[in-house]
Amino acid sequence: MSQKTQGSRLEIQGVDKFFGDFCALKNIDLTIEPGELVCFLGPSGCGKTTLLRIIAGLECQSGGLLHQGDTDISLKPPRDRDFGIVFQSYALFPNMTVADNIAYGLRSIGMPKARVRSRVDELLNLVGLEDHARKYPAQLSGGQQQRVALARALAPSPGLLLLDEPLSALDAKVRHHLRSEIRNLQKQLGVTTIMVTHDQEEALAMADRVVVMNNGVIEQVGTPLEIYQQPASAFVASFIGAMNFIDSSPLNGQRVKVGDRELELVRPLPSAEGAVRLAIRPEDVHLLPCGDGEWEGEVRALDYLGAFIRTHIRLNDVELELIVDVDPRSARRLGLCVGGGICLNLPSDALHCFAA
Amino acid sequence: MPEYDPGKRSMIDSHVLSTPATRNWPSLVELRRKFAGRWVFSLLLVTGCAILTLLVLAPLYTLLSKSVENRAGEFVGLENFARYLSSGGIESAFFNSLWVAGLSTLVVVFLAFMAAWALTRTRLPFTGWIRGVLVLPILAPSLLPAISLVYLFGNQGVLKDWLFGAEIYGPIGIIMGSCFWTFPHALMILLTAMDNADGRHYEAATALKAGPWRTFWTVTVPGARYGLVSAAFVVFTLVITDFGVPKVIGGQFDVLATDIYKQVIGQQKFEMGAVVSVLLLLPAMLAFIADRYVQRKQSASFTARSVPYKPGQDRKRDTVGALMLTPTLVFIFAIIGMAIYASFVTFWPYNLDLSLNNYQFGRMDGGGWGAYGNSLQMALGTMVIGTMLVFFNAWLMERTPQPRILTGLFQFLSLLPLAVPGLVLGLSYIFFFNHPDNPINGIYGTLFILMLCTITHFYAVSHLTAVTALKQLDQEFEAVGESLNASRWRVLFTVTLPLCLPAILDVALYLFVNAMTTVSAVVFLYGHDSQLASVAVLNMDEAGDIAPAAAMAILITATCAVAKLIQGLLRSWVDRSTRPWRQGTE
Repeated sequence: MSQKTQGSRLEIQGVDKFFGDFCALKNIDLTIEPGELVCFLGPSGCGKTTLLRIIAGLECQSGGLLHQGDTDISLKPPRDRDFGIVFQSYALFPNMTVADNIAYGLRSIGMPKARVRSRVDELLNLVGLEDHARKYPAQLSGGQQQRVALARALAPSPGLLLLDEPLSALDAKVRHHLRSEIRNLQKQLGVTTIMVTHDQEEALAMADRVVVMNNGVIEQVGTPLEIYQQPASAFVASFIGAMNFIDSSPLNGQRVKVGDRELELVRPLPSAEGAVRLAIRPEDVHLLPCGDGEWEGEVRALDYLGAFIRTHIRLNDVELELIVDVDPRSARRLGLCVGGGICLNLPSDALHCFAA
Repeated sequence: MPEYDPGKRSMIDSHVLSTPATRNWPSLVELRRKFAGRWVFSLLLVTGCAILTLLVLAPLYTLLSKSVENRAGEFVGLENFARYLSSGGIESAFFNSLWVAGLSTLVVVFLAFMAAWALTRTRLPFTGWIRGVLVLPILAPSLLPAISLVYLFGNQGVLKDWLFGAEIYGPIGIIMGSCFWTFPHALMILLTAMDNADGRHYEAATALKAGPWRTFWTVTVPGARYGLVSAAFVVFTLVITDFGVPKVIGGQFDVLATDIYKQVIGQQKFEMGAVVSVLLLLPAMLAFIADRYVQRKQSASFTARSVPYKPGQDRKRDTVGALMLTPTLVFIFAIIGMAIYASFVTFWPYNLDLSLNNYQFGRMDGGGWGAYGNSLQMALGTMVIGTMLVFFNAWLMERTPQPRILTGLFQFLSLLPLAVPGLVLGLSYIFFFNHPDNPINGIYGTLFILMLCTITHFYAVSHLTAVTALKQLDQEFEAVGESLNASRWRVLFTVTLPLCLPAILDVALYLFVNAMTTVSAVVFLYGHDSQLASVAVLNMDEAGDIAPAAAMAILITATCAVAKLIQGLLRSWVDRSTRPWRQGTE
């Protein structure tokens, strides 16, 4: 039904951005492949939106180069770049109907009337708003407005689609639904897409690759699985999902000391000297009946979170409280109750190790 | 647009390599991009700044320099000021102005606050109509209440006894007249401040068992405090700089505004006029600066999303509200009614038959119907040119990329007229535009200079209205436009202007009404062929033709009322046809 747009390749080389003394972006290098969906993920103020605006040309980098396909776009104003953008507020033109909003970009490039009409119809079909063409944005629901914004951005068949927190203004149910819808649309059209979000669940669910940013630098680039299972830094480990951190001091080789105990790691230490932090996901801690495990502790609190129970356990020998996620059946088997004793193992293949 | 070329690339590359860790200055790349495609807008805003400099700053500078020169144009330092001081001008005019303006401010803010409370915190019927009547005085020239007061309380006034022998010609008359025409200004500020009340605060007060009196003092008054302060500054400035009311009803009571007029028109002492102008500029400037300071604080405290307050059923409270509105309504009706009646009376007080004799302006001095025609032309010109100028400049400032220093300068220049009294502006226009060395002194004495002066005089409020409207639009419209290959111009005409139509109509009406009613700025500037209706009122009153003066004042008011009606119809048409744009966004 719609011709497949060829997404373009984007190459970012050594981009910096200063606002006065404040360094918003530091030496960003990143290549985005054609047809890829990449999420910029990070806490507010990490520079992800600034990077998106630099890619769009709405903000100018202080240094560095940008290439889209074979073209150097570093100095080009937004009008001369090839992208579509959807803002958090959608910025739909309230005085125009849905159809006129979608046609806006087509009319700017002087497309003949008949072709504008057929392209608008095509896009209305694509986003499932055939019946709302004559309505004004204020007469639509949030989710519908968001679809119009998407259709408007896609109408001129851009090689690059930029989404600035596109789902954060919607309520949870609509958001989940639109997530897969945007993802399917993007795959179907093959348009290279960059989405900025602070919602890790959204990023993990939608992206081919996730770019985790913090304080103006890229902490890690990887597939959602890599980001979750092999976090490159303590920041990534703590920002994505839940994580227990355990302070320890390195011994020789791959051995570390936690309290009075020694642990053997499967991976080499990040640095030979200085303290290291061990990290383990709550679901990776292995709970055992009393007397069976290496560590003993006491259950301090139980949070019922539906599919699993988040257990807060205070260890007996070390000043340490861990959170452990258990499924309800195991919890029953172990007889978990607040104040009760419990044993646990920290499987060494699940232990991450970061420089402190 | 900059195309890729190898030379440029190496320049950027070497720059990337030399990027230091921290830096205050924009890089070459940023500067290039900032400059590319944006200089047109910056150039236009520079032009806007230049225009305002020509219309405000340069004339003001000429005025200030005149105040320290003697008649021959030699620099004499503060000698003129010393002379004015020794003539006793400070003791009389300056202090008179201060206390009359101060007292009027107290009365007006008190009355306006009561009215605003009654309109927003009770459930009185017909509040739409009451609001309409309460802002009626804004459509009349400030001369009208003064004339009306002469008929009511003057030597042959119908209610002369009510003053117990006191004279209306003097401070009493000035204060009563000033209260009449400044009331709507205070009311509108307070209504804006009080309409936005958060219902949650009232619910919280009730939940915490506060009675109505305590709620009033702990919720209502604090909520309106910025409005109260702002209203006080505005009224004070309006009264102290007004010239119409004290001219007609001030008698022998000297105030700064009439003093300037006397020095310049009566005695042709231009340098002394400049001295008094500087003295008048001081309190107005202070009030202006204080008001800006307070407003800045207000915008900082204006954040939370609130639930609008809806007053519940309460008969007793509604009665109190009605009682609070009554005196003001009666006063406004009495003043306007008296002026209308007097304008039709054949020969006050001897022949009370009604006739149109007083509207035969051709028989009197003062310019007659020609002056009225000039006023219409001037007001229409001011409206069209002014609205376009104001909106275009506000758009450049708000919706195009501009260096911050330029927007700051422009904001200062466009708000400055708020601090400059009309008389001072008018006088400085004489000095600046009538100077033999000024290449455009040919416009002196024409309707065109009257338009320029009026646009300048009322620039600040129009500018603020336009900026507020433009700020409310989504900040990303232009960015979306650019991503869709549309220039800022196209976004301006297809999105921004249609959405700003209500504000444009408001600014147009504001400029038209003020151009029709203003006296102070134009009284020095009209020429033989550019007599204005509002000035004609003044001249006829001075010549003793007080009934025709009343008639002309009524004519001006009626014209403004018609303009308001047309604007109201246009606005409701716009509101109706654009309802789908706003549906569900409440």
